[in-house]
Amino acid sequence: MTLFESVFAGNDAVYGLTEGAINQAIEQYGADKAVSFPNTAYSLPCYYAVTGTKISTLAELKEGLGVLKSLMTREKRTHDVFMSGVATALCAEFIEVLKYIDGATPYEEPCYGHLADAAIRELGVPLVTGDIPGVAVIIGKAASAEEAATLVKSYQSQGILVTLVGDIIDQLAEVNYKTGANVRVIPLGKDITAVIHVVSVALRAALIFGNVTPGDAATLMEYTMKRVPAFVNAFAPLNDVIVACGAGAIALGFPVITNQPDVARVPKSLICQTDVSKWNATSLEARDIKIKITNIDIPVAFASAFEGEIIRRKDMQVEFDGSRVDCAELVQTCDPSEVEDHKITVVGPEVDEMAEGSKNSIAYVVKVAGKNMQADFEPVIERKFHNYINCIEGVYHTGQRDMQRIRISHDAFNAGFRAKHLGEVLYAQVKNEFDAVVDKCEVVIYTDPAECTRVRHEVAIPIFEKRDERLDTLTDESVDVYYSCILCQAFSPSHVCVVTPERLGLCGAVSWLDAKATHQLDPNGPCQVITKERPIDENLGAYEDVDEAVQKLSQGALEHVTLYSIMQDPMTSCGCFECICGIEPFSNGVVIANREYAGMTPLGMTFPEMASMTGGGVQTPGFMGHGKHFISSKKFMKAEGGIERIVWMPKELKEFVADRLNATAKELYGIDNFTDMIGDETIAEDPETLVGFLTEKGHPALGLEPMM
Amino acid sequence: MPFNHKPQKFNAKINTVTIGSGDKTVTFGGDSTFPFYSFDAPAENTPKVGVEISDMGLEGFSAGIKAYYEGAETMGDIAKKAAAMEGADFLALTLEGGDPNGANKSIDELLAVVKEVAEAVDCPLVVEGCKNVEKDAELLPKVCEVLQGRNVLILSEKEENYKAIGAAAGLAYDQIVGAESAVDINLAKQLNVVTTQLGVNAQKIVMNIGSAAVGYGYEYVVSTMDRIKGAALSQNDNMLQMPIITPVSTETWGVKEAMASEADMPEWGSQDERGIDMEIMTAAADLAAGSDAVILRHPQSVATISKMIKALA
Repeated sequence: MTLFESVFAGNDAVYGLTEGAINQAIEQYGADKAVSFPNTAYSLPCYYAVTGTKISTLAELKEGLGVLKSLMTREKRTHDVFMSGVATALCAEFIEVLKYIDGATPYEEPCYGHLADAAIRELGVPLVTGDIPGVAVIIGKAASAEEAATLVKSYQSQGILVTLVGDIIDQLAEVNYKTGANVRVIPLGKDITAVIHVVSVALRAALIFGNVTPGDAATLMEYTMKRVPAFVNAFAPLNDVIVACGAGAIALGFPVITNQPDVARVPKSLICQTDVSKWNATSLEARDIKIKITNIDIPVAFASAFEGEIIRRKDMQVEFDGSRVDCAELVQTCDPSEVEDHKITVVGPEVDEMAEGSKNSIAYVVKVAGKNMQADFEPVIERKFHNYINCIEGVYHTGQRDMQRIRISHDAFNAGFRAKHLGEVLYAQVKNEFDAVVDKCEVVIYTDPAECTRVRHEVAIPIFEKRDERLDTLTDESVDVYYSCILCQAFSPSHVCVVTPERLGLCGAVSWLDAKATHQLDPNGPCQVITKERPIDENLGAYEDVDEAVQKLSQGALEHVTLYSIMQDPMTSCGCFECICGIEPFSNGVVIANREYAGMTPLGMTFPEMASMTGGGVQTPGFMGHGKHFISSKKFMKAEGGIERIVWMPKELKEFVADRLNATAKELYGIDNFTDMIGDETIAEDPETLVGFLTEKGHPALGLEPMM
Repeated sequence: MPFNHKPQKFNAKINTVTIGSGDKTVTFGGDSTFPFYSFDAPAENTPKVGVEISDMGLEGFSAGIKAYYEGAETMGDIAKKAAAMEGADFLALTLEGGDPNGANKSIDELLAVVKEVAEAVDCPLVVEGCKNVEKDAELLPKVCEVLQGRNVLILSEKEENYKAIGAAAGLAYDQIVGAESAVDINLAKQLNVVTTQLGVNAQKIVMNIGSAAVGYGYEYVVSTMDRIKGAALSQNDNMLQMPIITPVSTETWGVKEAMASEADMPEWGSQDERGIDMEIMTAAADLAAGSDAVILRHPQSVATISKMIKALA
């Protein structure tokens, strides 16, 4: 039988039963008899939510049947299947409400049946906050009472609310499994129609928490789909009625997982998983439910208080050292099918098999998968490893990529800390902090030296090289959007950073990739997308889009900002710039000072004096705050001629940027060893001496147009 | 040169949010000018003044405040006297005794106080939590539940617990959500954005953008309020058009000017006077910077500030 036939047959059967039951009730009580569920303002909540009509008597219930009939179209389209599913569910509500006539109490311990409005308000808050991450609806009879208990336990331990329909209720009672609203396991009833009581919860949640107008079925279904994280687990054998109810669940956005092997499958909605022990993982993945990890399972403490802890050699049990042996740390984006969530594997010897005080290899690969995951986020996640591992009590980490160094202390080792616990920490932290992009996470830790060599040279290094290449080819022209960053507005209210691939934030800490990841992880946070569709002047880096964004984000304090000019509408500075660049009029050039530099510059100003010219979100033409890495950018004051304007830098800064700056100078102007032409404090601290030096070296700035 | 008056007109206004039920209600917000700029456009509404009482009774209140409440035996008595204070528009009950680092009262104990106060008075109510984000996330939803139908303002929902408190106050129990941030326009806006994304109606949110006593980094408060009002009115930013309420007394009665005894600081004069001065100065500055409501303790402060509002509006 096809899914269509199954649903239609089940729907027809339930409809027939409903009609019979209503007729019989009318015969028994008369058509004017009042019907309603107790303790609700919505009478028959599901029918009311879908149609907008409140039923109060048996006569109206009978009229309602006509409305249901109109939903039961029989064309073989998915819409007909869904609507027939909804009609089946509403029939179930009709059958159930008849049980409550005359204030009857049809359900007895442990079953709950209908839940009061007050219970929904109480459950609704933890559902919204995610304290209840999901709602499981388990229907039917498990292969054994033990299987039933194990499944329920798996959800319960994740904080998921479990509702039960059918024989599983007796199975749990058989093994004395504790149920009840206080333990988040709610047996509804033993008839399949009792399933409507959980649907009723979902639909009333939409009315109460979603402000959905009763009768607005489309909005209602959108709400349940997006906001009610419910799913159905149905044990084989499935009959037509269960399948028809399942179609109703799918219509509301709740996937159905079953172990009936011959069921007609609907991708992401009707899923066959014959191994019941995998229902938990399958259900969570299908409904996109993420469980918050509150407790990291390691034998030592984990807190930022331990971040600065240093493990001396004499306190050390073992160390891993990327500068001596092959090590690596890596985040790898994989297909969801290649990642088993929370699987942690150690390939090679554990720490207790390593000699005390020995130097060892380690390589850990964190495999992540997620709908919103992008390879660009890999380094952003990876960079947090240092912080995560350092927060472990008795473990210390420095370096990154294939140059990390880790020490485990005697104390941590004696407390039971092993390499696998690094995996636990990485798993928990990545899942918690990057939950917006990481759905599944698995960690493989290699300690086998040969494997470490392989992972380092054949896996990690090629990836690092690819990433560096991507960074090098990432230009302002090659991307579609820039990002704003207003993290510093707390103390510099009108400042807005416009972060582009070639111009990182002036603090040096926010690159374009960081801003992109920040935006993805916190869509309402400090980094927002700035489009670049309406250029005004590409040479200046002036865009209407950028102007609009800075106007908005500075609350009107800024009107125009250019990306590449220091003279015309230069970008503002908050105060946390790594460097300041200011024009030096005698040489037609600019002088750059970094924050660490304590001496005098040829401008007759120290770094703090220059800083006072440009901080606080004001635009001071001729002065600009920026990050160190921006100095070698091809976009560095491009509108005024670019880096060939640089005439002076503190020696330390010059050495720091030399390689990259020289490469850029060679590429742009064909100048070799450009930094040799640039003055520093050992050459000149006044303009006359500086100009003398520049003349001797033939610095190109001298021949350029004056900037002012 | 003759003075040429050019009214500064905005095509935007601060939301109006009403708290209270029945015929005892009070409305915050509604203006379309900067504070007290009645020369630009007639004021649609005036700022409101609330009286703060605490679940801790009169413990820690100054001698002058205690004198006002003399004879009040129960929380109900205190609430009645507070509501009758000259110039009071609403009552604010703080549940500071719930703070785990303080008296750490149980939620049931606090709910009993809430019920007692709510039964004693029918005036509009504001309930302030204990300031501990975890405890408030448990406590305030329960407060929302027991006060169903009273349309109270719940202070405060913060970034750390906005889901629990926003959902309970704004969705489940139909109260008014008080969104509290720490003196930063972007944080204030972000909290409003995420709260509305929960499904809370923007018209049911009041902001507490954070405060300080005058002289205690207060410039930040002024510039933040100033910028929020600017963005709300001149940029029509509807995520910043919520009215602002500022609990003044919790800040001002905790600083040394209000706390140092006359024995310790004879040259500073009357302790009660100092406390009143701090409260009045801070409240006046808050209102001038953009608060649509302030919460005060001392009867003299309440009377003075309400008189000031009448005179300026």
